[in-house]
Amino acid sequence: MHRHSAWALAAVVAACGPGGKAKPTGPVDRPPPVDKPTELQAIPSHIETTTDAPMSDNTPAARSPILDVMVGENKRWMDALGKQPDPAYYLAYQIAEQRVVTLDAEGGALIGDGDDTDRILDVEIRVGSPELDNTRAISGDDSELNAPLRRRSIVPFGTDGPAIANHLWLETDRRYREAKLALAYVRQDQRTLGKRAAQPDFSAAPPEVYIGPPAKLTFDKESWIRRLKRCSERALRGHATRGSCGIIFQENTVWFVNSEGTQLQMSWTSTQLAVSVGVKADDGEGLSRLEQAFGRTPEDLPDDPGVDKMIDLVTADLDALHEAPLAEPYVGPAILEGRAAGVFFHEVFGHRIEGHRQKDETSGQTFASQVGKSIMPAWLSVFDDPTITTLNGMQLNGFYRFDDEGVRAQHTSLVEHGKLIGFLMGRNPIAAGPISNGHGRKQAGFDPVARQGNLIVTSEKTVERADLEKMLLEEIKKQGKPYGMVFTDISGGFTNTSAFAPQAFKVNPVMAYRLYPSGKRELVRGIDIGGTPLVALQSIRAASREVETFNGVCGAESGWVPVSATAPSLLLGQLEIEKSFIPADRPPVLDPPSIRQGGAP
Amino acid sequence: MKFALTAALVAATATATVAHAKPAAAPPTAPDSTAVTPEIVDAIAEEMDRAMARLQLSDAPKPFHISYKITEVQVNDAVASLGFITNYKDRHFVNIECRVRVKFDGVDNGNFVVPGAAELDGSAGMNLPLEATPRIAARSAWLVTDAAYKEALIQLRAKLDARAAGGGAAGPTAWGTEPPIVSEDQVKVPALEDLDAIKARAEKLSALFRGQAHIRDSRVAITSYLERRWYLSSEGTSDQDTRRASGIIMSVVGQAVDGQELATYFARYGTTAADLPTDAALETEAKKLSGDLQALISAPNVDAYSGPVLFEGKAATDIVRYALAPNLGGTPLPLGLAPAEAKLFGGAFTDKLGLKVVAPMLTIVDDPTARTVTPAGSKTPVAVIGGYQIDDEGVAAQRVEVVKDGILKSLLTARTVTKDGERSNGHARRTTRGGAFHGTATNLIVTGKGGLAGPALEKRLIAEARSAGLRYGLVVQQLDDSAITAETELARRELIQLVVNANPALPPPALIAYRVGLDGKRTLVRGLQLGEIPIKAWKDVVAVGKTATVSNFLAATESYFEHKIDGVDEGFVPSSGIESSVTSPDLLFRELDIVPSQLGLRALPVVPPPTAK
Repeated sequence: MHRHSAWALAAVVAACGPGGKAKPTGPVDRPPPVDKPTELQAIPSHIETTTDAPMSDNTPAARSPILDVMVGENKRWMDALGKQPDPAYYLAYQIAEQRVVTLDAEGGALIGDGDDTDRILDVEIRVGSPELDNTRAISGDDSELNAPLRRRSIVPFGTDGPAIANHLWLETDRRYREAKLALAYVRQDQRTLGKRAAQPDFSAAPPEVYIGPPAKLTFDKESWIRRLKRCSERALRGHATRGSCGIIFQENTVWFVNSEGTQLQMSWTSTQLAVSVGVKADDGEGLSRLEQAFGRTPEDLPDDPGVDKMIDLVTADLDALHEAPLAEPYVGPAILEGRAAGVFFHEVFGHRIEGHRQKDETSGQTFASQVGKSIMPAWLSVFDDPTITTLNGMQLNGFYRFDDEGVRAQHTSLVEHGKLIGFLMGRNPIAAGPISNGHGRKQAGFDPVARQGNLIVTSEKTVERADLEKMLLEEIKKQGKPYGMVFTDISGGFTNTSAFAPQAFKVNPVMAYRLYPSGKRELVRGIDIGGTPLVALQSIRAASREVETFNGVCGAESGWVPVSATAPSLLLGQLEIEKSFIPADRPPVLDPPSIRQGGAP
Repeated sequence: MKFALTAALVAATATATVAHAKPAAAPPTAPDSTAVTPEIVDAIAEEMDRAMARLQLSDAPKPFHISYKITEVQVNDAVASLGFITNYKDRHFVNIECRVRVKFDGVDNGNFVVPGAAELDGSAGMNLPLEATPRIAARSAWLVTDAAYKEALIQLRAKLDARAAGGGAAGPTAWGTEPPIVSEDQVKVPALEDLDAIKARAEKLSALFRGQAHIRDSRVAITSYLERRWYLSSEGTSDQDTRRASGIIMSVVGQAVDGQELATYFARYGTTAADLPTDAALETEAKKLSGDLQALISAPNVDAYSGPVLFEGKAATDIVRYALAPNLGGTPLPLGLAPAEAKLFGGAFTDKLGLKVVAPMLTIVDDPTARTVTPAGSKTPVAVIGGYQIDDEGVAAQRVEVVKDGILKSLLTARTVTKDGERSNGHARRTTRGGAFHGTATNLIVTGKGGLAGPALEKRLIAEARSAGLRYGLVVQQLDDSAITAETELARRELIQLVVNANPALPPPALIAYRVGLDGKRTLVRGLQLGEIPIKAWKDVVAVGKTATVSNFLAATESYFEHKIDGVDEGFVPSSGIESSVTSPDLLFRELDIVPSQLGLRALPVVPPPTAK
């Protein structure tokens, strides 16, 4: 009997939207291969980073009185709860204030204009002891009845003490009542288990005090509306029946207080520009191309010429996709180009290296027993570092100072010389990760779990990008394949970590090419990349010198968080290609009234 | 002991007069829509004509009726707690909805619930941009028409199959024809209240609840709502209408000495903010809410009871809203509706025309043309928000005398009727499974003969209790409105308990109720849940009050338990729902069942509220 519904367990990355620099891709014929085998050279991947230490810009004078209200209410509760028969040993408050500005244009018209500000309160309370508390998963809890109910998140704007304190009190009362009840079920469950997990439920962390200066979002709205209208009008060309351009600007401030003494105030802005086009292929498959750019401020986003380049790229790709044939299932050598390789690592490796999954009885625990073992070629290493702000001059989306459990962001080595050495850890400990390394992350309104920040794959041995393709041609010949595959863009995907299903991943390539022994490239569509992670990682044959970065947002059980993934282009000896699901098409009975020609303007 | 009615009740005689003019002090008029221009409407009309002429799949019927409703909504709302905003929104969007009807062998697709696919109802909708061009509008109309047509064909096929399998499964249902209504003029409507002013008022009023330790939670929500509608149909209708409402809600939550959650609220809606109480009056209401909550904390639980129940003030309008109004619709039950859903559907009077359905003292009128109701004996008209010019099917609004002296004269109808030749009387407002609009109350006005003044009505209650051998009677002053109080503090397992114990057939729990002893002494009680109210109980209304209450509300489409389970989104501003009003005198029922309720029982807090320090 399945213990959990699939949706609750799969670490799903529903839409890790790509971003970053625009680069020309297309069906370019290459010269035929040469016979001399190509070998990796001892030249590492080119990576230059800048970082921002968590405590930089600490500005105690900017401290908001909200923090004092949170500290006061937290102490008042902990003083009382410590004396209860079921004592609480940990209480954390997080208030997240978020202004989200959205502007969307399609076909030259403004279709969306939003500017909303919300304040969300999250209360985390732990009853029992770190060794066994209310958060311990219980067996047979298919409907997750023992999980906390997250629905109340109201907290007033402003800094008024009595108003904010009252709402902290309300939610703490509800959460304590809920946690106490959950712990009773946990204890009962533990008494019935033949084998009990040895790992505790929570790890301690040192208190941190950091006050970041307030960030302010400023932008010229009318100018951006004009730009987006222009952009979406220009994007509606070629085969595209939808041309959309949009921005999401955010101003975030988070206040965090816990009963260990941590007091954090962090404030930042973020910006995102998306250019998207779409059309239906003649066989009904929905085709789309999306390019995104991310930044800290609106000024970081591309100017009009830069936007034009994004439009050129997506419309050219879409037109090519519209003419491209459907691909067939295939197993053979393939190249994952830069950003595609980043997404591949994010899905295939990154989600499985999140510490809590090594502990969850319902999880496949792919890497739990692999510590110290070789899981990929010895010349590859992987780390995650949320303190990196730029890589090779590009801003990284996964930067943060402290995670959502009040722990300082840290560089975390995951794979060194091909051997697994660590996991991304929040405060849910495992044997190989007894303490947090600052990766407990969440979207406001969710419970934190270990998540990726800036995942970076480095290679000590590399080849030039052109040589990687030569190696692919050699591999095609060696394996006797009619062609190899080259993937230049992947839109996202998901990886199943549930023990009740195969430990498989599936990623969705947008731009996929067949590379024939003659050097000819042919764009194809209608496929997914599938497989199992251990096999896929061990089939990596070579890496390029240049790396590329995928910036996006990633969704999983703790909500959506900004991430980046950086990797060199990779040659894999074996990659499995599956047909993707193309839903039955029901094209409109009548021809369209008009799209661009004739009819109404 | 004489008991005063709440200050919010509108003193009135049991009869009421209605006015169709706007209130004298009209606020500024909103500018014409810039989102839906005549060019946009023309583009959609062209697409409708093209579809009527050419839209047809091979071997399938073509549409015989296509209609569009284009809706532009603007809402400013804000919520505040303890003097500070917790949520605010200024929303503005446009939606286009298309309905397509097809028929074969005299049977059309309407009012049928497709087994396992109730969403296939011959309608489709999508958002239109705020700056739509005619090209975008035509394209949107093309897509929604195509989708609605395909749904209509599936719905028709399923309906024909049901007929073939079950004989009479298609039942008596028909589609009434109506003359087209054409108007080019934009309907003028008062402008929205300014969001900043709304926010400031919400903060000011919510501060009234500060520093009161017995109030666990409190909030003030203010909304200003404007909806413009354009109707187009293949019969030639091309018309416009508007909805406009402003409202204010104050709610407080507490906890009884045994841990039971307590709540009470004050709600007022009008056409604009000018129809709402002044700040001074609201301050009085806030004090009353606080006082009621304080009294409820130590109030005893009600016991199981069968006997006379007097609904006073707003509770009288509440019981009409929940237990009578759903039965006044004349639209036939959607075919294929599950029995459990059919039970909740209402429509209990559909076969009782000409028969006595309620007590002879009662007369019931529904008047969507009314803009105000001035109860006889009062010189103050009260704005009612349930009015419109044309209903959701493009039919002109009509005043309907539903019940005259207890006898059912007419039902509230839409274009889905029981047999050919029947006509809509312009009450299409609510859709249910199967997609058909159903005849629904708008501005419902209940009047009664021989109304008694408050003390006399209470004496009658006592007399009824005495004759039934009881030691007391019950008075209800307020029923719960889950769209207002749904933001409960449930933990997950408590929520599961709520779901398990839910009986959707019951009216909402009473929030304010009293036992009235044979000596006239009133005792506040809590935990009062009305049992199922059989429709025949309305024949046993034994007395009515001399005063009447006008209550405006937004009738939510979600059920009481759906609200409780899902909570209220967007920071708890009831701005959605069907604008409605009920006017009713106090109502005394001879015998109703009461069951004690422990809903919301939970442990008392370990830590007192911050205000208790």
